[in-house]
Amino acid sequence: MKEKTSGRLSFLRNKLFQNLFCALLILTVAVLTGYEFYTFRHYREEIRVPEGTEIQHLSDYLPSLKGTAGDTEIYVFRGEEKGGSLLVMGGTHADELAGHLSAVIMAENLKVTRGTVFVMPRANNSGFTNNFPQEASPMYVEIPTAGGVRTLVYGSRATNPVDQWPDPDLYTHFPSGQGLSGSETRNLNRSYPGRENGSFTERVAFAIKNLILENGIDLTIDLHEASPEYPNINSSVLHERAMKLSGDASLELNDIGISMRMEVSPATLHGLTHRELGDYTNTLAVLMETANPCQGRIRGATNAALAVSGKDACYEQAAKLGYLYVPYDENGVPIEERCGRHLQAVQVYAEALGWVFGEEYTIDMSGLPGYDELVKGSVGDWLR
Amino acid sequence: MLLMWIYRAIALLILVLTVRELWKEEKMQMKICACFVVIPLLLRVLMIK
Repeated sequence: MKEKTSGRLSFLRNKLFQNLFCALLILTVAVLTGYEFYTFRHYREEIRVPEGTEIQHLSDYLPSLKGTAGDTEIYVFRGEEKGGSLLVMGGTHADELAGHLSAVIMAENLKVTRGTVFVMPRANNSGFTNNFPQEASPMYVEIPTAGGVRTLVYGSRATNPVDQWPDPDLYTHFPSGQGLSGSETRNLNRSYPGRENGSFTERVAFAIKNLILENGIDLTIDLHEASPEYPNINSSVLHERAMKLSGDASLELNDIGISMRMEVSPATLHGLTHRELGDYTNTLAVLMETANPCQGRIRGATNAALAVSGKDACYEQAAKLGYLYVPYDENGVPIEERCGRHLQAVQVYAEALGWVFGEEYTIDMSGLPGYDELVKGSVGDWLR
Repeated sequence: MLLMWIYRAIALLILVLTVRELWKEEKMQMKICACFVVIPLLLRVLMIK
């Protein structure tokens, strides 16, 4: 019986058959995965800014970025009266949804009557064209709005390796010479102040630094998220020159019920916005963090629902055991709460610029939701 | 950009050598293992990811 079966299936032992089978397997998997990678890389989410909004591009500040995935849109809102200037960056890390979405909500709703506000929702545009390997992250998240479902990209912490490859074993930061793990070479928030002829990510950082220098930006806010077990969340990390501003803004936030810890940027930790943009430009550099369980190490199923709802049974248990640095219960940390914190903080910081540095630095803006409005409603209410 | 083409050429060289080994390999399980090396290499040469 055994011999008969072997005889019938003897073609399986044919070397040519085996090789052709492998070739077919390779082509099938390569086409299927390649198609998915390709469509993700070329997907363009819509940011529906009001008609007439001034749009600049990052390549305006470093022409070598033109036509590359590093080029990105900068929405500029100029008030009729002169005042201070503010740059808000989302999407430095494209897997930190609240940072990106808060900047999108700003771009779609902001009105400025005094001062100038620059909004860049996809600071590392290349990060939005890929996922971080081995994280099982969702590729897209869907937000229901009154006008239909809006699809946003859930990208990667790092530049797409298609744009910058291969990674060195050790990344040496320019100009400090600080050594970091090789993959950090594609992390925009380890690449400041950047280099005109450096790596792809260094060039993006250099262009952002130029944007700040050329426009004399007074305050730069970089919006981030981190895992709930990371000690530095619901906080702002700031350059030492931004201490007074952050102190006043944090007190104001505390008064309206939002606890915002302050951390001063370590002088020897290089490459980050709150260190290098403060050192290499005159801007007051501040980075803000909210909690995103989708990035955490102890999360359960990783999907678009987790990225939006922030609800995870493992984190609920961890909170009961006292392992988290943020309040966390069965309601999780929904995107409304995370964006609410960011947007309220941006408004308070912009207001504080005038209190701390005088009338000429005042920024008057409106149209944005506050923390309470977002928490009681939905982020979809603020997307066009 | 020149560097990118050089890396791409290196990946192509490794791809060709791996496919050659796959073709010559006698054991089926080793051939399948080689497939999982060849697929990402192929995508890398095509610069898809």
